[in-house]
Amino acid sequence: MQNYATRSETVQQIIKSLNLTRTLYVSSIIIGEPWTGKRTLVRHLFPDVPMVDGRDQDAVETLLSQTDALIIDHYEKVPNTERLNLEDKHIIAIADYAGNTQILDEMFAFIYHMPPLRDRPEDILLYADLYRKEAAEILMLSPEISLSKEVLDIHQNLRSLRASIYREVLLQSGEREALERGLYHYFLNHLPQEADYHHHLGLLEKPLLEAGLHLYGSQLRLAEALGINRNTLRKKIHAWL
Amino acid sequence: MPGFESTDLTFFLDHDTSPFVLFDRHSSIVYLNDAAEILLAYVEKRELFDLALSYAPNDFGARTTPIELHYRQLNFYAVTVAYHDEEHIGIRLYYRPRTRALQPVDPSRFKTTNIHTILEAAIALFAMQNPAKLDLLTDADLPEFKLDQNGFSKLLRRAFHLFRASSDLHISLKMAIGESILIDHKRHPIIRFTITANGRYNDEDRSIKSLATEMRIGTLLDEHRIQLDIPFIQE
Repeated sequence: MQNYATRSETVQQIIKSLNLTRTLYVSSIIIGEPWTGKRTLVRHLFPDVPMVDGRDQDAVETLLSQTDALIIDHYEKVPNTERLNLEDKHIIAIADYAGNTQILDEMFAFIYHMPPLRDRPEDILLYADLYRKEAAEILMLSPEISLSKEVLDIHQNLRSLRASIYREVLLQSGEREALERGLYHYFLNHLPQEADYHHHLGLLEKPLLEAGLHLYGSQLRLAEALGINRNTLRKKIHAWL
Repeated sequence: MPGFESTDLTFFLDHDTSPFVLFDRHSSIVYLNDAAEILLAYVEKRELFDLALSYAPNDFGARTTPIELHYRQLNFYAVTVAYHDEEHIGIRLYYRPRTRALQPVDPSRFKTTNIHTILEAAIALFAMQNPAKLDLLTDADLPEFKLDQNGFSKLLRRAFHLFRASSDLHISLKMAIGESILIDHKRHPIIRFTITANGRYNDEDRSIKSLATEMRIGTLLDEHRIQLDIPFIQE
């Protein structure tokens, strides 16, 4: 079995504890924000254990009466948790939030808190790299792109991180025609609201100046490379940067 | 009642569940019953003698005083002190009854378990939220025994949670030599689990005691320590 990708010590401890208790008749719950990898982790560790959606009370109760091991997804949405008997079974519940902590304390032996991505900086980099390779493969583009921290969007944990990397891979690998097509659609959508020529010129000039300064280091060298007057360059830098 | 005065009542006293001790004037024990022998494993003889003097009747006779006494897991709610004569004083302590009758143990919930596995998982859970240094002293040779796995895991979680502000924890797990627990008329050896630190919270003491009692686990909760006396059930 391939390892679950994490460099976070907390997540590794959760894995350790879940592995230790995998043969025991104990009830465990993993609580954490959406898209922190809880479900993937549980599925990875217990691929053969049946899973039920907590929103379906009847299905949960039926499966609890039929099986010794069960994964209850969306536990926070179980309509009536007090009707569930989790004793004497191997239960793993997954919840996006804790709800009534006193009830959780009564019902579960092991209560794990999956940290959000913002508290796992080591995992942000790990997953950014994994998603970069995945995006390059799926989109059939070069994986050789640079990812700065500013473009990594973690406000919805792994979901937004993945989306931000796919966008970045597409953008950085875009050829002239693709970029022009992108700009064409942008202007189609935005010209009706803002038709000023100089305003939209910034779309081209701002990234051009930023990249140029990064590459050439000084305004003098950049002006020479672009073949424009140094004063013209200074005016444009003043206008856009 | 013919012949009553000639009946030796010592036999009944010996088997009374309340501890009884008779001292002479020099605080030496002249007589003690079986229950008092157990009590003296937890409290000094001198302390009991001083207790008898403190609550002795003003004159000859007997005096019963309601008083809360706790010697580790032994809890009493009253004492009777009586002079036998000018040379001897006796003290009897009354056990506080359990607040509710114990439900019979459901044997199906007791599964053969390696207690080290549960302990290791509980430590991993605790270590996620607490950077405390753990000093572990466990008997690796403890054989598997029957345990309510879910209940005991909950108990461990709550016990560890009481030490959430401690920086150094000493954990020990071993057989308690020479001690036993009586469950449903069967005597079982004791496995003793202890967490000790320089202090602890006590906000879960009540729930720990209640949960432990359901599983017939003895508890000793003092300022620095949580002790769980787990029945070593094998059959």
